[in-house]
Amino acid sequence: MAISKEAYKEIEDVVGPENISDDPSIKDAYRSQYLTVVLPGNTEEVAAVVKLFNKHKIPFQVQSTGWSFYPPEYDFIFVDMRRMNRIIEINEKNMYAVVEPYVIVAELQAELFKRGLTCNMKGSGANTTALAMSGHGHMGLSTGTGDRNDLATEWVTDEGEIIRLGTVGASGEWFCGDGPGPSLRGVIRIGGVMTKQSTKIYHWGGPTKYALEGNSPRYTLPEIPANMMVRYYSFPTVEKLIEAELKIGESEIAFELMGFCPSMVSSNITTNNEEDFATLERFTKEVQGPGFMVIIIGNFPGDFEYKKMVLEQIIKETKGKSLKAVEDHNAEATLLFQCTRVTGSIRETFRAGGMFSSMMVQGQRYDLHVEWLEQAAVWKRELIKKGLIIADDGQQFGWGEEQGHLGHTEIFCRYNPYDADSFKAVHDWMDKVAKLALTGHYSVPVNSALPIEEIGSQACNYHIWLGKIKQAFDPNLVGARTGFSYVGADTAGAHTLVYPPKPPAKQP
Amino acid sequence: MVVEAKFAKIVGAGNASSQKETLEEYSRDMSFVNPVRPAFIVRPKTAAEIEKIVNLANETNTPLVPVSSGSPHFRGDTVPGTGGVVIVDLSGMKKIIKITRHNRVAMVEPGVTFAELIPAVTREGLRLNMPLLPRQSKSVVGSMLEREPVIMPKYQWDSSDPLACIEVVFGNGETFRTGQAAGPGTIEEQWAAGGVQKTPYGPGPAQWQRLVQGAQGTMGIVTWASLRCELLPELEQPFVVGSANLGKLTDLAHWLVRMKLVNECFMVNNTDLAAIMAEKWPTDYCDLKDSLPRWILFYNVAGYHYSPEERVSTQIKGITDICKQVGVEPVKAAGKVSANEILKTVQKPSGEPYWKLRYKGACQDIFFITIYDKLERQLSIMNELANQYGFQSSDIGIYLQPMVQGTNCHCEFNLFYDPTNPREVARVKTLYTKATEALMKVGAFFSRPYDTTARMIVNQNAASVDALNRVKGVLDPNHIMNPGKLCF
Ligand SMILES: Cc1cc2nc3c(=O)[nH]c(=O)nc-3n(C[C@H](O)[C@H](O)[C@H](O)COP(=O)(O)OP(=O)(O)OC[C@H]3O[C@@H](n4cnc5c(N)ncnc54)[C@H](O)[C@@H]3O)c2cc1C
Repeated sequence: MAISKEAYKEIEDVVGPENISDDPSIKDAYRSQYLTVVLPGNTEEVAAVVKLFNKHKIPFQVQSTGWSFYPPEYDFIFVDMRRMNRIIEINEKNMYAVVEPYVIVAELQAELFKRGLTCNMKGSGANTTALAMSGHGHMGLSTGTGDRNDLATEWVTDEGEIIRLGTVGASGEWFCGDGPGPSLRGVIRIGGVMTKQSTKIYHWGGPTKYALEGNSPRYTLPEIPANMMVRYYSFPTVEKLIEAELKIGESEIAFELMGFCPSMVSSNITTNNEEDFATLERFTKEVQGPGFMVIIIGNFPGDFEYKKMVLEQIIKETKGKSLKAVEDHNAEATLLFQCTRVTGSIRETFRAGGMFSSMMVQGQRYDLHVEWLEQAAVWKRELIKKGLIIADDGQQFGWGEEQGHLGHTEIFCRYNPYDADSFKAVHDWMDKVAKLALTGHYSVPVNSALPIEEIGSQACNYHIWLGKIKQAFDPNLVGARTGFSYVGADTAGAHTLVYPPKPPAKQP
Repeated sequence: MVVEAKFAKIVGAGNASSQKETLEEYSRDMSFVNPVRPAFIVRPKTAAEIEKIVNLANETNTPLVPVSSGSPHFRGDTVPGTGGVVIVDLSGMKKIIKITRHNRVAMVEPGVTFAELIPAVTREGLRLNMPLLPRQSKSVVGSMLEREPVIMPKYQWDSSDPLACIEVVFGNGETFRTGQAAGPGTIEEQWAAGGVQKTPYGPGPAQWQRLVQGAQGTMGIVTWASLRCELLPELEQPFVVGSANLGKLTDLAHWLVRMKLVNECFMVNNTDLAAIMAEKWPTDYCDLKDSLPRWILFYNVAGYHYSPEERVSTQIKGITDICKQVGVEPVKAAGKVSANEILKTVQKPSGEPYWKLRYKGACQDIFFITIYDKLERQLSIMNELANQYGFQSSDIGIYLQPMVQGTNCHCEFNLFYDPTNPREVARVKTLYTKATEALMKVGAFFSRPYDTTARMIVNQNAASVDALNRVKGVLDPNHIMNPGKLCF
């Protein structure tokens, strides 16, 4: 047994015997033999069990939907939030929705669509929590990014104190998360447990429900709604692509601009690897250079026509070329529903090789670190040549956020994690790319094995500051060494020297 | 060397003062906060001097109060909360460090005012998302640190906007840069690599700038800030919609902001609009006010580089349909005030004297964040209390600013009063406190509490006070920064 009988019993008294387990088969289901799993049903239970973890000095980790769960290799309590799964409020006039951690975005968005509204969604997609955590995704151009979408939040600290931020602490309302005074939104992603959160919602000019036809995995739409359009454009140079992307952002015409490289499009519209690779080959021949996918939606009469006209003008000025395959009805339909409901992430990432590992810059616009990305792509293509990773087009992808004020870029390798050479090559690649981000002053790297001191010392020693803040909220150091970060796999604890260091990534 | 001389040595004798009249100026403002005379004034010119000042303050246990804007001050936050304070007056730090059209960002020192920054960004084809008619002396950095509401809600994605990154000397004397500015490397190295200081979050999972905003100088001293700018439109078509029925106007405001159809968008009552637009006092003011409907919604439709006429006319058509559904009619003038004049007025800081002082010489604001559903009740409570405490309710200016892309609304009551009339002062003072208490009970959220009411408001949420003090303990462990404010 991982934790003492006494501790187990005390936790059981809070959540009931059916909501705690250290049964080996349950552990297997959670992919770790080190854990005891606890399923709290409400905020008070979360706070009570976290207090017990402090009393017994047992480290804990929390999971909302588990898309970024990497179990540690020490005895710990695993707090699975799946019983807290309610949409608490959708306030249409004031443009926010309040959710518990196990509400998935697909559920929330389905409810919002009925009301002509939508929400931001991380690229991992519809199956992940609707909490505004992490959360850089396909619709960032018009729906912002993760933490910039959160409003009032209920948060249980690593010591088990319930803190209600903003209006929820003052009057039980959910419309503002800042104050009184400084905003604690600044620290809620460093650890603890978010138990409820209000997130901004946005206007949706698309249908209240997609009228899908067909069977899994080949769904389609009988017709593309008259006020919606999807296109993929390639450009002669990356400079032209950036120019087009900025102009689209500045003219506020697009609902979505996803800097997909052709392999991301082909993986989205195909249903197996053979089809994917054949399609990619066709696309690669047709495109003239780097590209992006764009979705426009008209919100009222005349709006669609205006946006389409401006889009065409921008594409003409920047010498963009439409990828004909995407003008095909089925491809356009698939991209439309898949990239607005964000259901293609497994196709994009895991399907080709079983695993993907990513290097990314979150928040910063594409044009600011394009040299770094191009170098990462050169190094990636060397791995492709050696047959160590999936032979895709080797390119980065990225998108503008908040109409091009911010942005996100990413480049990943898809590979077979059971192949030791591939595993090693990809992780070496990540470290090399991270190092270049640092030495070239492009961005603070995430997701690599570079020691945090090396990164922090180049970034105002933020790891030391963060460590102090972590300790101020987690004096017993039982709290999650993890926490929300801009990269799910990267953890708040790992940004500090306070906790035992994260072991190097292990090959499965 | 006595402590004051050490501070003077850092900034140079010409930038330090202990003259009685100067100290007197900083000892009070237009709020109801009790005057406390500071011990000394320093006017640093560089971040390095600021770092030395904070370090010296830690060594000598001297409280510091940072001030960026020029007078008149209104909120009591720069009035010392304790004795022996050294005022760090940053209003002389006036460098506009960088403006980049391509990245839609500007970077400025704390002494730069709206009046100074507006022409500079305009030359680059950019504009600021700014508060409604800030006073001439208002610091841009100060306004953003206070999370003041801005008049283009469509471009306010987050309550921290338009602030991007800051450089801050925390209370413990160490300098930190937030967001994208943190690194890698120095700002100059980032520029050399083609970078800008714009992404507000990180590094790591903390959102450092949020801990400094709303802190009233209690966490550290900001030495520069960057801010996102918007493009200058090529075509603008402003409108007003008047109504006695505020519900209809908030309905319309909801749709305008939700569908991102308009740039500037706010509502005022007739008292405020007359106070803003009147040129000759008191004749103009009374005339204008009489000519205006009870409530006025102002909005501005804009076109940018691509086919601006077409965009504006399409959006106006879209808005016309919404207006029909709501049952209101947009026009080009309300009473004697034209939409074009309002637009011109609100795209600049206030003329002199500051618009809130023109009517009676002083103004006490009561402001909070709310949602439309609660407004009616909050307005009627304010009216009742005004009547109860002898303040003419029709004399209350009201400003409603949709915020954060329509997720909430700033509600502000402007109580204009004559500061030389002791009875009027006493009435306003009582009304201010009583109304704050009463409004809190009906869902008014005082996210930025100042002066005499701050402690009462902050202390209502004990868990949040505890958390804020933990943060404070890390950033300003010796409680050097502006002691006595908020819950510190
Ligand atoms: C295939 C794939 C694609 C992805 N693509 C993207 C992408 O495009 N953009 C992007 O932003 N991210 C992406 N991610 C990462 C993504 O952010 C996460 O998958 C998602 O945010 C995780 O949500 P979750 O609830 O499933 O996280 P979990 O795995 O449950 O948790 C993630 C982290 O947050 C902590 N945590 C979870 N719930 C809580 C809570 N209630 N309170 C406090 N801490 C909590 C956990 O301890 C853990 O450290 C991707 C991941 C995968 C697997």
